[in-house]
Amino acid sequence: MALLQEVTSTFLRRFKAPPASLHRIWASQCRHASTEAVAQETDELEESSFLQGEGPAQQAIERFDPAGVAKRRNRRLPPSRYQFRSPRYYRGPLHPHQPPRPSEPSSREFAPGPFSLPRLEQTYHDTLASDYMVLAYAHLPPGQTAFKKGERLRRWEGDSPYFKNRPLRGPRGGDTLRLLRKPVTFRNVPQLQRVTVHTMSSDAINSGAALHVSGMVLQAITNVRAEAHEVKKSVAGFGVRAGMYLSLTCELKGEDMYHFLSKLVDVVMPKMKDWPGVKGSSGDFSGNIALGLKAEEVALFPEVEVNYDMYPPKLIPGCHIMIHTTATTDQDARLLLTQIGIPFFGKLVH
Amino acid sequence: MNAGQKSARRIAAGNGPISRDTVCVSCLHRLTHPSRRNASTGTALAESPSSPTQQPRHPNPPVTTAKAPRKAYQLLASPVLSRPPLLTRDLTSFEKAYYLYQKRLNERLALPFTRYFYYKKGTPGDAEWKRKIKVRKTPARDIGVYAAYGDEGWNDEVLVGDRTAERESVVEALLRDAEGKGIVDEEVVGDKDTEGLVVAGDAKVGEGQRRDLTKVEVERPVERVTEADRANNMRSLSRKMDRTLYLLVKNREGRWRFPQDRVHGRENLHQAAERILVQGFGIDMNTWIVGNHPIGHHQMNYTSGGAPAPRLAKISPNRLVSTSRDRPEYEQEEYGEKVFFMKGRMMTGQADIGKNEYGDSEFRWLVKEEVEEAVTGGYWKSVKDMLAER
Repeated sequence: MALLQEVTSTFLRRFKAPPASLHRIWASQCRHASTEAVAQETDELEESSFLQGEGPAQQAIERFDPAGVAKRRNRRLPPSRYQFRSPRYYRGPLHPHQPPRPSEPSSREFAPGPFSLPRLEQTYHDTLASDYMVLAYAHLPPGQTAFKKGERLRRWEGDSPYFKNRPLRGPRGGDTLRLLRKPVTFRNVPQLQRVTVHTMSSDAINSGAALHVSGMVLQAITNVRAEAHEVKKSVAGFGVRAGMYLSLTCELKGEDMYHFLSKLVDVVMPKMKDWPGVKGSSGDFSGNIALGLKAEEVALFPEVEVNYDMYPPKLIPGCHIMIHTTATTDQDARLLLTQIGIPFFGKLVH
Repeated sequence: MNAGQKSARRIAAGNGPISRDTVCVSCLHRLTHPSRRNASTGTALAESPSSPTQQPRHPNPPVTTAKAPRKAYQLLASPVLSRPPLLTRDLTSFEKAYYLYQKRLNERLALPFTRYFYYKKGTPGDAEWKRKIKVRKTPARDIGVYAAYGDEGWNDEVLVGDRTAERESVVEALLRDAEGKGIVDEEVVGDKDTEGLVVAGDAKVGEGQRRDLTKVEVERPVERVTEADRANNMRSLSRKMDRTLYLLVKNREGRWRFPQDRVHGRENLHQAAERILVQGFGIDMNTWIVGNHPIGHHQMNYTSGGAPAPRLAKISPNRLVSTSRDRPEYEQEEYGEKVFFMKGRMMTGQADIGKNEYGDSEFRWLVKEEVEEAVTGGYWKSVKDMLAER
C-alpha cells in the first residue's frame, strides 16, 4: 500500500507546476530583470560546462594533435577502432543496429552535400523573386469579388435520379485537364526546379567510343554522372535496333543546376556566334522551356575548352537543355528565364 | 497579367451597384461607356450563355451618386529606386565550416583525378601539376593540404581556429596556384653542407623546383569593401555592394523621403514615377520602373489639433505631362496626401541633384537600417515592408 502511494505521488508530481526556482529562471530571461538576479538564478542550477559556454582551454587547443598521436603510435590498432560499416538492411525500429540518416557521412547512401551558396540562387531570392511578384500582380478593385469561373468538372444535369452522386465529367473535348494558373503571391513565385541535359549521338550506332565521349563531355559540363538510355523500338530507316544505347541524360538539381545555368548564361551564351536567342515557341504549356546547343557551342563551356584537344575530333556532341520551372504556363516560365538572362526571339507562343 | 478589359467586364457582370466611391475613374469610364466599335456589347453581356454560377447580371449597372461629399487628397507617386546587391553575401562561420567539411568528404568519395586526361605527358603543364600536387596532395585548391586516399585520409576535420575555410585563405591559395607556386611554401631540399639550398649536381633534386626567373603576374581580385565603404560616402553606389541601396532625398521641408511628386493630368503611376526620376535627378540614370502597380502606400491627413484642416493647393500644369496642359492652373481643397510607391531598379548612372526641380537639397543611397534612422516614424511604418532585407 505504501509502495502504491509512493508510485502514485511520484506520478502526480509530474503533473504539478515546475519547481519555483526554475520558473524564476525562466521569468528572469525577460529584459526587465537585472543581470545580478540572472546570475543568482543560474547559480542554483547544477554546474555544467555547457551552461558556462566556454570552449576548451587555449593550452588544450595547442596540444591537440590527432595526426601526431597516430604517427607516434607503434602498435597497430584493431580494425574495429577505425572501421565501421553501417547496416546494409533495415531490420525494424527495435533492432540494436539502426542505419544512420542519409545525411550522415557514415551512411551508405551519403552524397556529399552543398559545397557553396550559388550566386544565381542568391540573386533569385534577393532580387528576381520580388520583381516577379510585382510584375505578375493582378489588381482586384476593393469591394469587388473575383470573377468566378465556370466549373472545371461538369455535373450531370437532368431528370434521372442516378445523376445525383455520379462522378463529375471532364471538360468538353477530352478528359485531359489543363494546368491551373494560381495567382502569384509571395509563397507562389515560380522558381527553377531542375534542368535536364540530353544528348543523342547517331555515331554511337557504329562506335561505342562516341557514347563514352558524349558521357565525359556531359559529366564535365554538368558535374553529374550521365545516365545512358536504350532505344525502345527498332527503326530500320535510322539504322537503329531496340536495345542499343544511343542517348544520355543528366538531371541537375539544386547547386549543380544553378552553377550550370550561370555558366550557360554568363560564359557560353555571349560567345555563341550569330545566336538570336531561344525560340519564342519553345515551351510545353506547363512552364518548362527547352533549348538546343550545337557541338561548337558545347565546346565553349570552360570545362571542355580547357582540354579541347583531348577529345577526339568531331565527337563532342550537341545537346538539348530542358529547364523545368514551378511555373504552370509558358509566359510565366519565359518571364522567369528572361529575368535570369536568357533572350527569346520571334513570335512568343503561349 | 494586369487589370484590363477582362476585369472591367467581370465587374460589369454584376457585383452590385458601382459608384465613384467603389471603382476607380478609368474602370468606371469603361463600364459606363461600352465600346462603340461593338454596338451589341451591352446586349451580348446579357445574352451570353448562362454560367453555372447564377449571379444577378446587369448589362449597364446603375451608377449611383456618392453618398458623402467627396474629399480630395493630394495624389502623389513616389519611385522607390533601388540598386540591387552586386555581390553575394559573406558566408557565416557555420556555412564556411560546413562547406569545407563537405568538400573534404567529397575528395574521399570521388574517383581519383585522371591526370593524363587534362595534361599531356611530358608537357610543362604536366610538370607544373606534379610539382603542385606534391605540396597540396589533392587536386582541389580550396581545402588546404589534405590527402584523401593517403594514410591520413581519416583526418578530414580541421582543428579549432583553422583558417582554411576563410575567404582570404581560399583567394590566396587560388592566386598562388595561378602564379605557379604551391598553395603553401614547400620545404627546400638540401643538406647541412649546402645550408638547405638546392644543389645542381643531383638532377632529381632540382626537378620541379621553381626558379624565380620569370614572375607570372596574376591580377588580384577587387576588394569587396570599397573606398566608398571606408569613407562611408552615402552618395556613392559602390558602398555596401552586398546590400540593396535605396535612393532618398531631403525635401524642402528638411525631411528625408523617397522622391515624390503629384500625379498630373491623365498620366498613370508608372509614367509619373519615370517623370519624377527625370525631373528630380536628370537623365543620366539608367532605370527601370517595375510593373504598373504600386508596392505600397502612405497616407497623411492634414490636421490641426486633432481636427481635419484642409489646405488649398494650386495645381499648375507640368511641362512633361501633355494631358496636364489641357487645364490651366486650378485650385483644389485637399484633406491630406496619399503617396503610392512604385518599385524602380537602378542599372547604371548616378543621380544629379543639380537638375532637381522639386527643391530637394541632397540625395543619399541608404540600406534598410539607415532608411529607418533617416525617416520619421509614421512614414517608416508604411515603408518598411516594401524594402528588401538584403
